[in-house]
Amino acid sequence: MIDRVALVATRELRAERRQPDGVVAAVTFIAVLVLLESLVVGPQIARDADVASALFWLALAFATILATMRSFDRELEDDALEGLVALPGGRDALFGGKVLSLTIVLLLVAAIGGLLSLVLLDLPVALPLHLIVVVLLGVLALPPIVVVDVVLALRLRARAALVPILALPVLVPQLVAATRGTSAALSGDAVGALSWAGLLFAFAVVYTVIGLTIVPAAIE
Amino acid sequence: MTETTIPRGNTLPRIRPWLGIAAAASFVVASVMALFWAPTDAVQGDVYRILYVHVPLAWLAYLAFVIVFLASVGWLWTKRPFFDAVAVASAEIGVLFTGLFLVAGSIWAKPTWGVWWTWEPRLVTTAIMFVMYVGYLLLRGLSTDFSRRATRAAVFGIIAVIDVPIVHLSVLWANSLHQLPTVLRAAGSPALDSSMLLTLMVSLFAYTLIYAYFMSARVSLERARQGRLWTQI
Repeated sequence: MIDRVALVATRELRAERRQPDGVVAAVTFIAVLVLLESLVVGPQIARDADVASALFWLALAFATILATMRSFDRELEDDALEGLVALPGGRDALFGGKVLSLTIVLLLVAAIGGLLSLVLLDLPVALPLHLIVVVLLGVLALPPIVVVDVVLALRLRARAALVPILALPVLVPQLVAATRGTSAALSGDAVGALSWAGLLFAFAVVYTVIGLTIVPAAIE
Repeated sequence: MTETTIPRGNTLPRIRPWLGIAAAASFVVASVMALFWAPTDAVQGDVYRILYVHVPLAWLAYLAFVIVFLASVGWLWTKRPFFDAVAVASAEIGVLFTGLFLVAGSIWAKPTWGVWWTWEPRLVTTAIMFVMYVGYLLLRGLSTDFSRRATRAAVFGIIAVIDVPIVHLSVLWANSLHQLPTVLRAAGSPALDSSMLLTLMVSLFAYTLIYAYFMSARVSLERARQGRLWTQI
């Protein structure tokens, strides 16, 4: 099982390296949102730890949806999905591999997008290590749900609208925890940052287990 | 094929008229008790009486979504179309009840809080639950193949139920303008006058019968649709 998951993830990352349109689209999206934020609400409000954290995680949630949909589009364009699903254990491996590869891609996107936010908004970081832990666990908590929702909306018309409608309400607890944790790390609240990070870890585990349990049934 | 397992005769249509009469009668009794028999609240006055609509609708909405979850597990486990019919029926009624309890809550909020809507945890999580199940119905509506639609919806129905305890417990987890639970309290017995509690229980019973009546009608309709689908195949 782990071998198959690693195989799908490696294949996915190789495809992303050859044609990195998912990463480029996600990073550009975050950069545009950060620039728009400071223009729309003004630099003083944009630099507020709560506002900057909320916008970063909302942008990252949309970037996750973009990257996941692009990943499955590539499968559909190449008619690769049927072959993958037909393999023994292919459905579990598909979910696990997609989640793993998307987590790695999103870590890259979050690192670049986070640095852009810090530089462009000139944000002071009180607890850098805590911030890294929160971002790491926040990124872990996003892909399982988004992959489930993209699988559910696969080959449906209006898919681009349906996936955010399905995914964002389910992601609310993760987004709240990630935003509060990031804001706490930026403003120097170590206990707050770690407790939100713990909650994010719990979400990541719960949704990965749920995904592995029921998603294979949804892939037909 | 699982499609051939649909039973031709079921008991739902036979009991439905009696269920409808019982629901209507208990609704009349509950309304009379809520409007005339229950005492006036010392702080809020008569405006609190919307509680007898708001709370049963909220509880029934939770129940409806838990039944969506159970029926979704049933479909994924057995692939019997009956479970899919139960899931769609309960989701539709749950969305209706959630919408109504949001409206009832808003009407109650204006005289007590001074606003129709405020950004506090219970209201926001309830609105999110509403949107989530509207998404569930959208997902169903956009799928054409029966089996795929039922499976996709079942997976989402299992994930979405996580929001139900979040809505209920949100008033305990965060500073909330919304009042804390008054009946299902960790502290012990309900914090309500006994006649108010009795009226609330009668209202809850009446709304449960209404939910059961709607369910029997909607499940029968869905079963008839499924039957038509199989004969077309």
